[in-house]
Amino acid sequence: MDTHTHIVRLERVSKIYHQGKIAVHAVDNLDLEIDVGDFCTLCGPSGSGKTTVLNMIGGLDVPTSGHIYLEDRKLATLNRSQLSRLRRDRIGFVFQAYNLIPVMTAYENAEFVLRLQGQPETQCRERVMAILKEVGLEGLEHRRPDEMSGGQQQRVAIARAIVTNPAVVLADEPTANVDSVTAGALLDLMQKLNEENNITFLFSTHDQRVMDRARRLIRLRDGKIEYDDVRSLPG
Amino acid sequence: MKLTTMAWRNLWRRKRRTAITAFSIAFGVLLAVTFTGSGDYVYTNMINTGAQMGLGHISVEPNGYNQTPGLDKRIHQTTALRQQLIMMPGVSDAIVRIMGQAMFASARKSVGGAFIAVDPAQESSVNNLFIRSIIAGSRFTDSNGQGIVIGSRMAQKLGVTIGKKLVYTTTDVNGEIVSEIARVSAIFQTGVTEVDGAMALLPLDRVRGTLRYQADDATLVAITIKDHRATDAMTAGIAAQVALPEREVLSWRQTQPDLAGLIAMDRSSNYVTQTLIGLLIAAGILNTLLMSVLERTREFGVMMAIGMSPHTLFRLVITESLWLAIIGLVFGIVITAPWYHYLNTIGIDFSGAMGDDYSAGGVLIDPVMKVYLYRESVIAILAGVFGLTLVAGIYPAWRAGRIPPVASLKTL
Repeated sequence: MDTHTHIVRLERVSKIYHQGKIAVHAVDNLDLEIDVGDFCTLCGPSGSGKTTVLNMIGGLDVPTSGHIYLEDRKLATLNRSQLSRLRRDRIGFVFQAYNLIPVMTAYENAEFVLRLQGQPETQCRERVMAILKEVGLEGLEHRRPDEMSGGQQQRVAIARAIVTNPAVVLADEPTANVDSVTAGALLDLMQKLNEENNITFLFSTHDQRVMDRARRLIRLRDGKIEYDDVRSLPG
Repeated sequence: MKLTTMAWRNLWRRKRRTAITAFSIAFGVLLAVTFTGSGDYVYTNMINTGAQMGLGHISVEPNGYNQTPGLDKRIHQTTALRQQLIMMPGVSDAIVRIMGQAMFASARKSVGGAFIAVDPAQESSVNNLFIRSIIAGSRFTDSNGQGIVIGSRMAQKLGVTIGKKLVYTTTDVNGEIVSEIARVSAIFQTGVTEVDGAMALLPLDRVRGTLRYQADDATLVAITIKDHRATDAMTAGIAAQVALPEREVLSWRQTQPDLAGLIAMDRSSNYVTQTLIGLLIAAGILNTLLMSVLERTREFGVMMAIGMSPHTLFRLVITESLWLAIIGLVFGIVITAPWYHYLNTIGIDFSGAMGDDYSAGGVLIDPVMKVYLYRESVIAILAGVFGLTLVAGIYPAWRAGRIPPVASLKTL
């Protein structure tokens, strides 16, 4: 198997939760490969396992069985610190509830991961200002999350996710808390970043607008892939 | 953004809670300063006063004199010894004295007591508590005269006043009973009942003659030093220079074990009290920081998800407790400074509650409670409060670093 084009690979991954004496198979023997530059959506009803899949790819949760590889690195072999470094350097996260750090300005939120990498302030500045301009937040750098709209906050979250040039951005319901106009603008932005910078995006969503934009649509049901559709979208 | 800036901002997300916690730290500083400061002041006062009641901070004595005092034991060539001691660094004075037991009798009555034979040229109100406490008459100036300075209660018991005669009887160097007439030149009142009822000062040369001592003999040379905290080191230093087989160098802890025991016991109970107060304050700080961590579980989850290591998260919370400590200490200094100034200069007068006897461990104590902090005590308090706050932050910081990101990010 040629793994070089796969940025993410899941091999017979299962995740079983225990609710009392009942074992719940959130993910059931799943095989999945995500290619570099994919703009891919995991969809499916609640409880289908899409959140769990994202968590495990991001190293936030561990599978009960099976193996997950990110850029050919087997996640199970990494300790907590190595996983932290991997997330910091190679994965971007966009959350449904934005999850910006409330005591930081838009600029500081976007800069945060670069500083975690140990990059000097002066070196970060140019990069962060460029990203904020790219996501349409020029002039709002000094605003704190509570001084911004939901759409603006999600733009900051996207800026934070891509500022390090990650291998993959994992986005959980990124449009769930914004109006349709803002959702459209956010999707335009992520699509642009995907096309221009070749950043891989993996969404978990119920939003039809996101599904419509995806080049690959994976539908999960009961922890298994119901269908996996690679599409050629117009334009 | 630097971790310190982030921690600072986090602290002020709950202004009231931070202010209350900082106040509890500040209150801890105030209590620690009050307890430690009163201890430093009272102990210093007691030790220095004790030193001025005859034996000094350090004394050079005949071997065995401390265990079984007797006028048959004496040291020689005390003038040269005194000169040698005075030249030593840290020594503020060295005084040649003879201390012994005697029976004092007037025409009406007799009482048992003790005497200190002193050279008027060497004694002053600075190094001699009895001279400082004279309430009637004036001290004798002739070292070979008949003057005697007695305590007020002894004067009362003997029924004597200034200018009256009395006879003191003791044993000489050979163990023979000897008597001498003296005339009351002054009466002192220290406030220590047993001292005022049994102590007398006599002229040194006169007593030497009475006891059949040689001209330069005495039972001890009492040394007062500039800082009593250096007692142990100076005792060893002096012993190394002046000790002979027939004489020994002892510290006030050895010559006044009751006082040393009292101070040690009081200091221990002071430490226990302060430790308990410190633990209570630490529990408050722990509670604040833990609450602050638990209510930010989701935020910490996000931080770890985007790449913050558990170690960095630990440092963030510890930095928050560090800021809390600094704020508390600054606040503490602000509220403690005027309180300290008041206690240091005016103090609280407990004389009404103490009656007539202002003594503890046989030593006069000041009925006005004042405080004075040594530099090392200031450092200990600051370091203690600072350290306690940091220690209280360890568990919340550890908890923060152990939060599993997935548990806190339910929506991802």
